[in-house]
Amino acid sequence: MNMQTGMKLSVAEMALCEAYDHAVGELPGDAAVLTARDGLISEFKAGGLPTRRIEDWHYTDLKALLRTLPDRAPVASAARVEPLVEGSTVLSVENGLVAGDFSLPGVEVRALAETLADGSAAAGLSARNRDDLIGKINGAFVRGGFALDVPAGAALEKPIELQTVQNGGQTHARFPVAFGAGSTATVIERHLALGEGAAFVTTLSDVTLDDNADVTWIILQAQGVTDTHFGQVRIRLGAGSKLRLYVVNAGGKLVRQEVHVEVAGEEADFILRGINLLGGDTHNDLTFTAAHNVPHTTSSEIIRNVVFDRAHGVFQGQICVAQDAQKTDAKMSCNTLLLSDDADFSAKPELEIFADDVQCGHGATVIDIDHTQLFYLMARGIPENRARAMLVNAFVAEIVEELEDEPLVEALEAVIDRWLEKHA
Amino acid sequence: MLEIKNLHARIAEDGTEIIRGLNLTVKAGEVAAIMGPNGSGKSTLSYILSGREDYEVTEGEILYNGESILELDPSERAAKGIFLAFQYPVEIPGVATMQFLKVAMNEQRKARGEDELTTPEFMRRVKEAAAELKIEQSMLRRPLNVGFSGGEKKRAEILQMSLLEPKLCILDETDSGLDIDALKIVADGVNALRSPDRAIVVITHYQRLLDYIVPDAVHVLYKGQVIKSGDKTLAHDLEANGYADIIGDAA
Amino acid sequence: MPAVQETIDQVRQIDVDQYKYGFETNIEMEKAPKGLSEDIIRFISDKKNEPEWMLEWRLDAYRRWLTMEEPGWARVDYPKIDFNDLYYYAAPKNHVGPQSIDDVDPELLRTYEKLGIPLREQEILAGVQTSKIAVDAVFDSVSVVTTFKEELKKAGVIFMSISEAIREYPDLVKKYLGTVVPTTDNYYATLNSAVFTDGSFVYVPKGVRCPMELSTYFRINEKGTGQFERTLIIAEDSAYVSYLEGCTAPQRDENQLHAAVVELIALDDAEIKYSTVQNWYPGDKEGKGGVYNFVTKRGDCRGRNSKISWTQVETGSAITWKYPSCILRGDGSQGEFYSIAVSNGHQQIDSGTKMIHLGKNTSSRIISKGISAGFSSNTYRGQVSAHRKAENARNFTQCDSLLIGDKCGAHTVPYIEAKNATAHFEHEATTSKISEDQLFYCLQRGIPEEAAIALIVNGFVKEVIQELPMEFAVEAQKLIGISLEGSVG
Repeated sequence: MNMQTGMKLSVAEMALCEAYDHAVGELPGDAAVLTARDGLISEFKAGGLPTRRIEDWHYTDLKALLRTLPDRAPVASAARVEPLVEGSTVLSVENGLVAGDFSLPGVEVRALAETLADGSAAAGLSARNRDDLIGKINGAFVRGGFALDVPAGAALEKPIELQTVQNGGQTHARFPVAFGAGSTATVIERHLALGEGAAFVTTLSDVTLDDNADVTWIILQAQGVTDTHFGQVRIRLGAGSKLRLYVVNAGGKLVRQEVHVEVAGEEADFILRGINLLGGDTHNDLTFTAAHNVPHTTSSEIIRNVVFDRAHGVFQGQICVAQDAQKTDAKMSCNTLLLSDDADFSAKPELEIFADDVQCGHGATVIDIDHTQLFYLMARGIPENRARAMLVNAFVAEIVEELEDEPLVEALEAVIDRWLEKHA
Repeated sequence: MLEIKNLHARIAEDGTEIIRGLNLTVKAGEVAAIMGPNGSGKSTLSYILSGREDYEVTEGEILYNGESILELDPSERAAKGIFLAFQYPVEIPGVATMQFLKVAMNEQRKARGEDELTTPEFMRRVKEAAAELKIEQSMLRRPLNVGFSGGEKKRAEILQMSLLEPKLCILDETDSGLDIDALKIVADGVNALRSPDRAIVVITHYQRLLDYIVPDAVHVLYKGQVIKSGDKTLAHDLEANGYADIIGDAA
Repeated sequence: MPAVQETIDQVRQIDVDQYKYGFETNIEMEKAPKGLSEDIIRFISDKKNEPEWMLEWRLDAYRRWLTMEEPGWARVDYPKIDFNDLYYYAAPKNHVGPQSIDDVDPELLRTYEKLGIPLREQEILAGVQTSKIAVDAVFDSVSVVTTFKEELKKAGVIFMSISEAIREYPDLVKKYLGTVVPTTDNYYATLNSAVFTDGSFVYVPKGVRCPMELSTYFRINEKGTGQFERTLIIAEDSAYVSYLEGCTAPQRDENQLHAAVVELIALDDAEIKYSTVQNWYPGDKEGKGGVYNFVTKRGDCRGRNSKISWTQVETGSAITWKYPSCILRGDGSQGEFYSIAVSNGHQQIDSGTKMIHLGKNTSSRIISKGISAGFSSNTYRGQVSAHRKAENARNFTQCDSLLIGDKCGAHTVPYIEAKNATAHFEHEATTSKISEDQLFYCLQRGIPEEAAIALIVNGFVKEVIQELPMEFAVEAQKLIGISLEGSVG
């Protein structure tokens, strides 16, 4: 092994390096892709897993949290499941691989392996910065996934569901999706485990919206209680485009979902809604950065966290407004219901502002259930535990209802209900 | 129906005594008005009756149908038929009004050993009651009390009262923030609920509401005690002469 | 709105060299040789006639410091400091420790007069000030005089320089020094522990309400000198004290270093109010010169229902690195942080607070107002945490930033950590420019633009100004005006 520094590697770091040595021979890709993969793994070796001294990972000390990795191979076969919303077109990655036929009328779809083999995916295999662990790992190991090209002006009526489903083992998938000018679509990115043995999953979605595209993108993470899931979305928004991104975390043992948005075109509008349902021994980290680089753009982020049992929750959000980005309107809020004394939640909502004619703000609260509301419900005869459940549900349901897409709202509400029934 | 004996109560957090030896009896079928100047303990009394934990009863007893309710939590009291129409109805974003009504009605039925309502039966009842109170369906689709005007909130309280069919209704300053038309609608709703087996306690600062909900008895609350009781003419006296005389007499 | 643009343009044109305290005092000084070593520390300790334990304490800190690295996480950028190119001790020649006012060099008295700090008690009593303020005047490395000492002593309050306290009340100092900010705490605090030269010591006994405001006025005069002040304030059960701190330095082209440590200890039901008006030389319009201000201030609410309140008005320094904090250890204790941080020219501020909730029913409140103009950078960095056993911890935080011009930056970096389900935290932050509606409203009422902006800025910071003792409030308001001169008139 090529040790670039004198640093001693941890068990998990060694396991990752070894996994790469074993996998590299069978990973798809031309020479350019291979060079990119090698580069990323040596960057990883140099830095290792991030600790809390790395500001981006302040509350998720991976060196301490990620002790071991499951074997690369899955423990059992995995097959696609029914889509979240009936009638969606499912593109699935099963145990890390694209299986069977796929097609999507009106959209150009290629298996990621193909774009790796012909080298067209090489440019995307890069880390965002020195501390971009997910970019490094995913780029080095990626195998399955789909590259989608939605043509300009296309109006997709049915949702597209990008599914990763596995039964243990290691899965690294990627979804480069380009929305052409003026196109409209709904995409559901859904990650789930079939529940046999621990899995280590990384996913990376590279989403670009051309001018005036209007997209709803849902990420639903429902991995198993022993799984590690690292997800990243990189987003670039063109002029006048609009993206509604929903991140729903309802599973996993060690989870980090990153959202990085570059608001690059004037009049672009970005909306992030996060729902983190945390129970058991979960460590869940939602990390978000928005770069407003041009004038007249808006973004709004609302994160709602419900924390039970011994769960640890983290939200890091950073809004950066460049000097030229006058008239930016950016609002971020993070609200947490902390429902157990053994649980904790940490939030770091940052503003970094270099333009003066802006309206930016953030709010963060950590609260218990509102006693006035609880009293009101009980005064109407609703027993205390039922009343509490209603209020917890309302706290997150409020966010979902904004979607105004009935089948989608119902599907997400069902996910939330089921989760709360199990944990509340 | 309601018997309050030598009640003393204070704010749990800082120990401030608000109710200081209050005695009050309200019979079934009766409409009792409780009046008094600001800070006399009117709203506190309504919270104590419905079991709000911010207040501590230090002495005395509250009997409801001969039984002490001090140990019951708010939902148990509600299931027994005690209803408080809040002065400031609470907004609960994310909880749809319809969903809330259904859960409340069925939980109370469950607690009394009755069957849950079927959805069509529930819908029928809500529609009827809403129509009586001139409440639009669109309002019921909104989250509970969120974005309701002052008048809409008060009407929604009365809607809940008629659906839940309580035995002891406590109306806390239900007239505040209402214009005259809304006041009439609310009063009609309350009057429709008057019956021999039901008692209504109307807490109000002004006599105005009592023109529409005519009380059988009027009690004046001052510094946490009932200092004078009488019939409806007492309310008119108060309107004409203010509280000063009565307070002077009591002192 | 064009009117605003015009003002911004004016900002760019007008010289930011508005510093009114940049004069130099010509007085013969005695200095330790340049550089830092164990010998220098022995020299300082010897000059101060310190007991052996104090010297050992310093040397321990120094050895520790040699193993530490300068922190790099703050959003401040400055060339590497050569710690061996500084003087660590400078005192007016023939100075033999704080003395009676009649023995103080008249040149020094004139200096403080010029700064608006009267040191003669009779003058203060006869003067325009409405209430008495006792002053400890620190000039470079030494305290030159402490006023009203006798009167305070009658009330049982000990107020003197820390050098004197180490000699006269060694047991008290030993008991508390370094218990809030340990010598190992951070790079600058450890350095301070090794080389601190002077500062104030306050002890308010049980049940005593300090009969007057106490204050220390820090002045860096000597070229190339680091000032390492150390202040220790102890309020026993049910005691109360309000303490003010002011600072200035001459205008110099090279940077000066100020690395202070302040420790506050409040026992049962005690209250300490600590106010700072920091006006070190900020450097010139090109960003040349100015004081590097690396400060560790921390209060320990050790007793039940104790309270510590920090108020700061930060207008000076080229670089400010400062996080006055509260450890809310006692059940029912309260911490407060009120801050105004104004940056103009090339100033860089990274400041905020930490509220660490450890006890039950503790509460804290943070109000921070940042104003950035010119080419400056202004960061609020704060931490609020509730530990497992901190039942019913409450925090309210409001951080507002105002930007004047588009060449400056305003940043907000809060860390919010809750480990208790009964914790209740509320944090709000906003960044904006002066509201055009407000400005228009003022203009429409006939208020000239510069006055209108000043009015609005004053409104913006009012919540914090109100927390200052009256004498300071007026001063602070003027200071903010001066600091923003050229940007808001």
